[in-house]
Amino acid sequence: MISRRALEMLTAALTGTFGVAVCVSSLELGIAWGAAGVSAGTLPFCTGTIVTAGSLFNLVSGARMAPGETAIDADNARRLAGLFLPAATYIAAIPLLGMYVSSVLYVFGVLHLQHRASLLRGLVTATAVLLALYFLFEITFRVYMPRGWLGNALGF
Amino acid sequence: MENNIEWLLHGFAIAASPHHLFLMVLGVMLGILVGVLPGLGAPNGVSLLLPLTFGMDPVSAIILLSCMYWGALFGGSVTSILFNIPGEPSSVATTFDGYPMARDGHPTRALTYAFGSAALGALAGVVLITVLASWVAKAALAFGSPEFFAVYLLAFASFIGMGGSPPIKTLVALAIGFAVAAIGIDTVSGAVRLTMGVDELVKGVSFVVAVMGLFGIGELLIAVEEEIKVKAVSSKVEWREVGRTLLKLPGHWWVLLRSAAVGCWMGITPGGPTAASFMSYGLAKRLSPRHAQFGKGEPDGIIAPEAADHSAGTSALLPMLALGVPGSATAAVMMGGLMIWGLNPGPMLFVEKPDFVWGLIASMYMGNIVAVILVLLTVPIFAALMRVPFFMLAPLIFIVCTVGAYSVSNSYLDVMLMMGFGVIGYLFKRLSYPLAPLVLAIVIGDKAEDAFRQSMLMSKGSLEIFVHGKLVTTLVVLSLILLVLPLILQMIGRRVPKVAATD
Repeated sequence: MISRRALEMLTAALTGTFGVAVCVSSLELGIAWGAAGVSAGTLPFCTGTIVTAGSLFNLVSGARMAPGETAIDADNARRLAGLFLPAATYIAAIPLLGMYVSSVLYVFGVLHLQHRASLLRGLVTATAVLLALYFLFEITFRVYMPRGWLGNALGF
Repeated sequence: MENNIEWLLHGFAIAASPHHLFLMVLGVMLGILVGVLPGLGAPNGVSLLLPLTFGMDPVSAIILLSCMYWGALFGGSVTSILFNIPGEPSSVATTFDGYPMARDGHPTRALTYAFGSAALGALAGVVLITVLASWVAKAALAFGSPEFFAVYLLAFASFIGMGGSPPIKTLVALAIGFAVAAIGIDTVSGAVRLTMGVDELVKGVSFVVAVMGLFGIGELLIAVEEEIKVKAVSSKVEWREVGRTLLKLPGHWWVLLRSAAVGCWMGITPGGPTAASFMSYGLAKRLSPRHAQFGKGEPDGIIAPEAADHSAGTSALLPMLALGVPGSATAAVMMGGLMIWGLNPGPMLFVEKPDFVWGLIASMYMGNIVAVILVLLTVPIFAALMRVPFFMLAPLIFIVCTVGAYSVSNSYLDVMLMMGFGVIGYLFKRLSYPLAPLVLAIVIGDKAEDAFRQSMLMSKGSLEIFVHGKLVTTLVVLSLILLVLPLILQMIGRRVPKVAATD
């Protein structure tokens, strides 16, 4: 489905874009020898240049690979999506539902709805996660978890 | 030397308190847990625990974190041997002979060979630290900024020259790490750098967030893609077999010694435990008279990678303590912790905080003994954990990483950054970009930059300062050789097949 060649080129393009962004952004800071010594942008500019040049090299050597080798086949992609999409939804839901509600829904959803674990198993695991999060972080280590829009609306 | 022994005894007095022993047990247990679980390893396990140590005194905190590291190294071997699933990248080489031996009905023997040689490897690393650390630190006290910059340069160059990954990919990973380290307020000029329009990035990108994404999320994605199928062999530990195997271990002294030497070398020059274990396995296979038995459950095939893995993991703390240059990703995370606790890793640490340094070194002797005993006792428990299906573990590990990233500075941006680092981590792992130099550069990027800019101030902008003085020149030349090394090896490598073809 996705060839090794395409994956190499995609990654090189990603790192290259980052490299260019670093270069542009450090040019604004000044990249030479200034009144106070080496200007703030100098070393970031150097690293940006290295990232860009290295990415170009990787892009070219990726492009020269034989297109045959598959890196991610349909099965792999399905399994990857099966982990990544629910996880990304969970992260996206945190500002809305808060850490507790979204964690519980995430665990229950993945176990019961996605992987057909029994209702009891889903509920027990989700409750255990809720309790562990609350007692370990909120109580023991005093990390204030975000309540999200929902929690604020309900006044938690 | 006698002074070192005096200090070491003093360190034992500090480390042997009931409170510290409790922390050792706790750290080792947590370490075995993250070592066994796929997607959680030593670097992100230590990062997860890091925010929780801010209220502790530094000696207790480092004992907890370093023991977690030892535990994780041991835990990684358990799953390699019993399930053919390396819990840690550095225990991949242990699966080659460990799993076949366990599968053929000798799980206890395989585990004992692994733990025994691991403990001896770790011992070699700690002895090296005991003997050398204060000496290196004393030499480094005379270092100025140019020397420090040259040491950093050497560390980065050795990643490229000896890390084993494609050199240009290593270079890209390193440079990205440096750029990430530069994000936020510049400590010298006060200018805000590379925030790309996101105001909250003024606080910079924490290495904890990066590690959580790169190692945690990235490894989960790799694990789900490979669809782990657990084919467990019996996880019962037979104590008589443990004793018998331990008695056989001295017969392998030559392999042990060589592997420990490889490990120490790779740990001090930041090649890291993973590269060390592979190199040591390769050497053992090539030099062994029982060459053909490798891959079928040969004891030397377990001893070599395990001893090298642990001696590299342990000796990676030597450059971290004495020079402020960590030798592995986990050592980099611990060094980040040291800086957060207000300590300054490097030669001054030996002068200013001898209690901390020697307490840590003494705890390394004790922590590894605690780890061997605990790991043997708990093998059945942790093996049972592996029977929990992966689809259940994955969301739990994901939540742990999310909460871990969030709790660094109570910021949702960090959670999104972690996700981004996760995707990068997956892509990099799949395409054999190394992750350790990326993390290393994020942690020590600012220090390396400061050293460079200080040197430039001293020389009024002339690069010549890096070839003035014997020490600096040697270090710089050594770095350059290491940088060119992969090129030379590639050229030789290209010629060899041709010669072979004409034969």
